[in-house]
Amino acid sequence: MVLSSVPAEYYLVLSAAVFCTGLFGILTRENALMFLMSVELMLNAANINLVAFSFYWGTLTGQVFTLFTMALAAAEVAIGIGIILVLYRNFDDVDVTGPTTLRW
Amino acid sequence: MVTVAGIYAYAPAIAALPLASFLVALFAGRWLPKKGALAGILATGGSLVLSAVTLVELVLTGEGYDERLYTFVAPAETFDLGFGVLIDPLSAAMLVIVSLIAFLVHVFSLGYMNDEGEPGLPRYYAGLGLFSFSMLAFVFASNLLMAFVFFELVGLCSWLLIGHWYREAAPPSAAKKAFLVTRFGDYFFLVGLVGVLATFGTARFAGEGGFPAVAEHALAGETTVNTFGFAPETWFAVLGLLVLGGALGKSAQFPLHTWLPDAMEGPTPVSALIHAATMVAAGVFLLARMYGFYALLPTVLAIIAFTGGFTALFAATMAVVKDEIKQVLAYSTISQYGYMMLALGAGGYVAAFFHLTTHAVFKALLFLGAGSVIVAMHHEEDMWLMGGLKEEMRVTYLTFVAGSLALAGIFPFAGFWSKDEVLFETLVHGLGANPLLLGGYLLGLSAVFVTGFYTLRMVMLTFHGDPRTDAAADPHGVGWNVKFPLAVLGVLATVGGYLNPAPLAKLTGAEVDFLHRYLDGPASEELLTSAHHYGDLTHKWAGYTAGSVAGSESATMLAGAGLSLALALAGAGTAFVLYRGPDPDRHTEGLGDLRTVLVSNYYQDEYQVWLAEGLTLRAATAADTFDQGVIDGAVDTVSSVSLFSGDRLRRLQTGVVTNYAALIALSVLLGLAAFAVVGGWL
Repeated sequence: MVLSSVPAEYYLVLSAAVFCTGLFGILTRENALMFLMSVELMLNAANINLVAFSFYWGTLTGQVFTLFTMALAAAEVAIGIGIILVLYRNFDDVDVTGPTTLRW
Repeated sequence: MVTVAGIYAYAPAIAALPLASFLVALFAGRWLPKKGALAGILATGGSLVLSAVTLVELVLTGEGYDERLYTFVAPAETFDLGFGVLIDPLSAAMLVIVSLIAFLVHVFSLGYMNDEGEPGLPRYYAGLGLFSFSMLAFVFASNLLMAFVFFELVGLCSWLLIGHWYREAAPPSAAKKAFLVTRFGDYFFLVGLVGVLATFGTARFAGEGGFPAVAEHALAGETTVNTFGFAPETWFAVLGLLVLGGALGKSAQFPLHTWLPDAMEGPTPVSALIHAATMVAAGVFLLARMYGFYALLPTVLAIIAFTGGFTALFAATMAVVKDEIKQVLAYSTISQYGYMMLALGAGGYVAAFFHLTTHAVFKALLFLGAGSVIVAMHHEEDMWLMGGLKEEMRVTYLTFVAGSLALAGIFPFAGFWSKDEVLFETLVHGLGANPLLLGGYLLGLSAVFVTGFYTLRMVMLTFHGDPRTDAAADPHGVGWNVKFPLAVLGVLATVGGYLNPAPLAKLTGAEVDFLHRYLDGPASEELLTSAHHYGDLTHKWAGYTAGSVAGSESATMLAGAGLSLALALAGAGTAFVLYRGPDPDRHTEGLGDLRTVLVSNYYQDEYQVWLAEGLTLRAATAADTFDQGVIDGAVDTVSSVSLFSGDRLRRLQTGVVTNYAALIALSVLLGLAAFAVVGGWL
């Protein structure tokens, strides 16, 4: 089978690359929507790992778990979009560096 | 045939009736025709009838009554706490006195308050009702705890009534002073009460289970009580002195007498009630109630006697220079209660109660007479603005003179017999046992002269001579409701001495010392409150034995009585000579600096204010500074470390998500690096 001929390290490198892309987005962007997307990227990097290891291990547990993670991510997006909407209504902007009034 | 318990079962109603009138006057007084006065008169009249029936029942059956009404804590547990009724000769007689005076004061108030159109009448009658209730319940209290509760209620009522005219400046201040000064004494009483309970486990007054009897057994070594490491004599004396503190405050004895003259700011009928039957009598009654305990303590007895004798003279001298009729009466009250204290300290239990009885009658009479004069004078109290009232106010004059002669101790009025017995008891026990009592006797004897002087001065200035103002020339008439109480009390003040003419009994051998026989009656036997039991106790434990001059009891008695009567007549005569004539001079001005001291009441108020403001307030301020500076300062210093470091650390929180993410990422990287180093990957 063609999948089994791909070494596991490749998946790990792909996953790390996606994760770092997400992290880079969080560290450099100021737009809340971009934040949300970056977080999704990081989440999916973890999903890639789960699916890959599950495949090599020979069970379906990791793959099923990934389905749960995706459902959770969908819920998280709903909440995230909600927060962004409130942010926009209160500050007329979706810049995450602006609202710092809840600190000390 | 009603059984004994049947009649006595109604005893709580004696106090409950005035309580009902308090509630009626308070909640419905506004709509009643006399604003609650009628309810009060009916209630106290009912109490009077019930008390009289109780007294008759007691005399006829010769059985006392000591019954528990309500239990907070059962005797089998740690302490015996509860309410109960104790009817013995002492309390039965006192119930009659208190309800009689309360009844007459209610009637008199119709003339003094209602007819004068005073405001706040429902509040006034509610106060009188609660006052009578508290005092009556205090009188039949069967234990020290209940006595303390009602003792405090009496103090509260005095505060309410003295401050009746609360819109003026002086009455609220006087009320506060009365409350605080007596409360100061009550504080000692409270500590003493706790001490009694902790020592004996019970605070009951009467019977073998009562604390006086237990104390006697403990002194005799027949039983042991917890005396907290002291010798029983010492510890009991401490307890006795603590409870005495409450009695000194309420009975206005030196040094806690300062509240009483100020209490004259209250309505005059209230003064009559306070001085004759309630409040002030409560202190002396408390000592008489637990006399079985005091009789065991010679030191405390000597202190009581000396304080009493000193107060008798001390207060009498101040009365000499007062210009306001109620002020003279106020100081005479302090002085007369001094005599009762002297008698109690000298082992004269019967004498003290006898004087309490006659004093209740003649002092109520004098206050109500003064009230009548004040009404007639359009609320003027200065005696120098009166004069010549005897023609216009016949009933008031005659009854007032009867009361004055009783106060001065002139034969044959009531005060002569009782004061003479007080002095006689002090003299014989001073001669036979404790020479300290002779000091008290001399003080009391000197006070007789001064009493005679200020009493007659008051009568002469008020009623004799020419009218010195327009108001005195044309006094405002008083009605039946003023004259009726005066007449009743006037008759009693004249003949009341024959309750217990001990000298007659001793000289002729006739059994006419009724009060003595009554207090010694069979009803008190079982309860251990009889006069001869107290006599035995003072003889056995305080070593009181009767001594005599010229060898015989009769001679001693005649000499004592003659001496005190001569002094009283001399004092009264001096005043009569000095203040007769149409326009008397102000002779007390001739006293010079001494007068200044007397008018300033020996600077007692100043010294007590200094104690409060100069000493206590300063000590409190210093303690506050210490507390705020040192105690709180140490705590604040410790907390300031957390405060400072917290203030610095919180700067880490920027509120920018990117920074947090960077921190997390960095930490993970550092963690990875650490694992790599430790795990040996590199």
